[in-house]
Amino acid sequence: MMAWSRIAEIWLIAWRCGGMARRALWAAKTRSLFVVAGVALGIASLTIIVAAVDGAERKANEMVALFGPDAALVLGGNIESRAVGQRTLTLSYDDAAALRRSLPGAYLVVPMRAQSNVQVRYAGHVTQVPLVVGTTAGYARAWDWPLSEGRDLTEEDLTHSARVGLIGDTIAQELFGKQSPIGRTVLMDRFPVQIVGRLSYRGVTGGGGAVDDRIIMPITTLTKRFHLDRKYFRALRVKFHDPEYMSAHVENLRSLLRHLHNLRPEEEDDFSILTADEILKFLSTFKGGLILFLGVTALVAMVVGGFVLANLFYLGVDERRSEIGLKMALGAPRWAILVQILLEAVGLTLIGATFGMFLGMAMGQLLARLGVLEILFSWKVFGFALFASLAIGLVFGLKPARRAASMTPIEALKGC
Amino acid sequence: MSSSQPIIQLQDIEKTFLLGDLHIEVLKGVSIDIGRGEFVALRGASGSGKSTLMHILGLLDRPSGGRYLLQGKNIADLPDDRLSALRNQLFGFIFQTFYLIPYITALENVMLPGLYGATPARQLKRRAEELLSQVGLADRLHFRPGQLSGGQQQRVAMARALLNDPQVLLADEPTGQLDSATSAEIMALLKSIHGQGRTVILVTHDAATAEFAEREVLLHDGLVQNR
Repeated sequence: MMAWSRIAEIWLIAWRCGGMARRALWAAKTRSLFVVAGVALGIASLTIIVAAVDGAERKANEMVALFGPDAALVLGGNIESRAVGQRTLTLSYDDAAALRRSLPGAYLVVPMRAQSNVQVRYAGHVTQVPLVVGTTAGYARAWDWPLSEGRDLTEEDLTHSARVGLIGDTIAQELFGKQSPIGRTVLMDRFPVQIVGRLSYRGVTGGGGAVDDRIIMPITTLTKRFHLDRKYFRALRVKFHDPEYMSAHVENLRSLLRHLHNLRPEEEDDFSILTADEILKFLSTFKGGLILFLGVTALVAMVVGGFVLANLFYLGVDERRSEIGLKMALGAPRWAILVQILLEAVGLTLIGATFGMFLGMAMGQLLARLGVLEILFSWKVFGFALFASLAIGLVFGLKPARRAASMTPIEALKGC
Repeated sequence: MSSSQPIIQLQDIEKTFLLGDLHIEVLKGVSIDIGRGEFVALRGASGSGKSTLMHILGLLDRPSGGRYLLQGKNIADLPDDRLSALRNQLFGFIFQTFYLIPYITALENVMLPGLYGATPARQLKRRAEELLSQVGLADRLHFRPGQLSGGQQQRVAMARALLNDPQVLLADEPTGQLDSATSAEIMALLKSIHGQGRTVILVTHDAATAEFAEREVLLHDGLVQNR
């Protein structure tokens, strides 16, 4: 029972130390403000880093979802060792046919090529389409990209090089506004193309511009109309059953392509295979770089904040020697002095953290608006900021607090 | 332990300070007994060691040699936090420079010694108000020290010293910074505190001030001067 009343007393005294800390901080407004500002800058950078890393992760997941976990993209040429003048047109229609025939587990093989920056007109509206993609039948299915209206490209369209196309949502808005684009004919460069389908809005910005900014056409039509190479194409999309065996699928694909290209064992691949895994790997490297760069920045900012705190608190302890000595003379135990100074430090870092979070969010929004960073705010930010500010307060407040608590009442009283 | 036993017994107290390589002997074997309810003046010129002696008496400093028996118990065996508790409960302090905390009110300054104990805040506040009206500052409860005159500040400090109802009051040159009229008021207050049955120890360099006490101990060069 004695022990419980002693614990209650210690809590009461600690609580009262908190009250004294509040009064002392308010009395030293300027000093408090400097500490708050120093810590706020650190916490602001921490907020941005957490939001940016989360944003990068969301982006990665979006890109992977966009790509499809069951898909592989084969590019002509080896992107890891691209020698000057190396051929990138290595994928042929014969390859596509052979894969379609004999690649186990694959249910869709879609060759693709693209023409960039094509002018498109409709009834007086003119727009520049960044990407016109040539593909075989079943584009919407191959990319898990549902149509909001109309129909997908068919085998018929391919064999007849039909002048038909699927339209991206953004382009459709630009050319037709609220009207349906289905059945309408646009002029691409000089030849007419009838829109048969409209891709639903995705809203994700991939590596090369907005994904909704595109028109999809049969690859045969594109080849003819833009006078492209008739034998080769740039990329090939393959979709597999059973995505849990992706690594085996990719090995099969690689072996088959090497066989088709007559590569000897010592020769390198003359193509590159990208999968969702590869993309994730690349993105996690990118994310690692981001964490490292921003993490070091945030750490430096927080340590600077911490040193500002430690320095000003050292000065404060010196200035308040007589106050500390007086409290000791009046019977304050050493731990109560320690607790008061620590509470002062932690109180300021918590206030700094609050300002820092708002500052960080504002700066993060700004960076996101400017397109510099992808950011995502979550409750995690609060957790990190709270933890970091507590840590700064305790770590950097401890030395000054111990210094104050280790004074003898006499040397403290004489200090004034 | 009989009630006639002195509350404070100093036996051959020595205090040496180290200043670089120099040992400075400030107290060279001081023996004093102070009885319960006594009003004692420790008088000496500056450098006589009276302030050091007062610090030792008030448990603010430990002697380098000799024995200090407080209510018959040797304080040398007690840890720092136990000494803090004893200072809190047994002693009240009044200093020459008042030592009020400038950014809190007179009332809060008086409550300060109580904050390091378990007494409920409301009770502390009532007691502090009572004490402040006893020293004639009932209408100054919420003034900051800077808004009070020197004499008023010293009266706040006296109220503070009495908050925990201490048995011993230590006053270190309490009138050192006050004019003579105010000094007389403060000394009268000190006498009335003694009249409440408390032991009062007054440290001063001034023979006239020492007159207020029942007994005078003259300190010279770290030793008690026998007459």
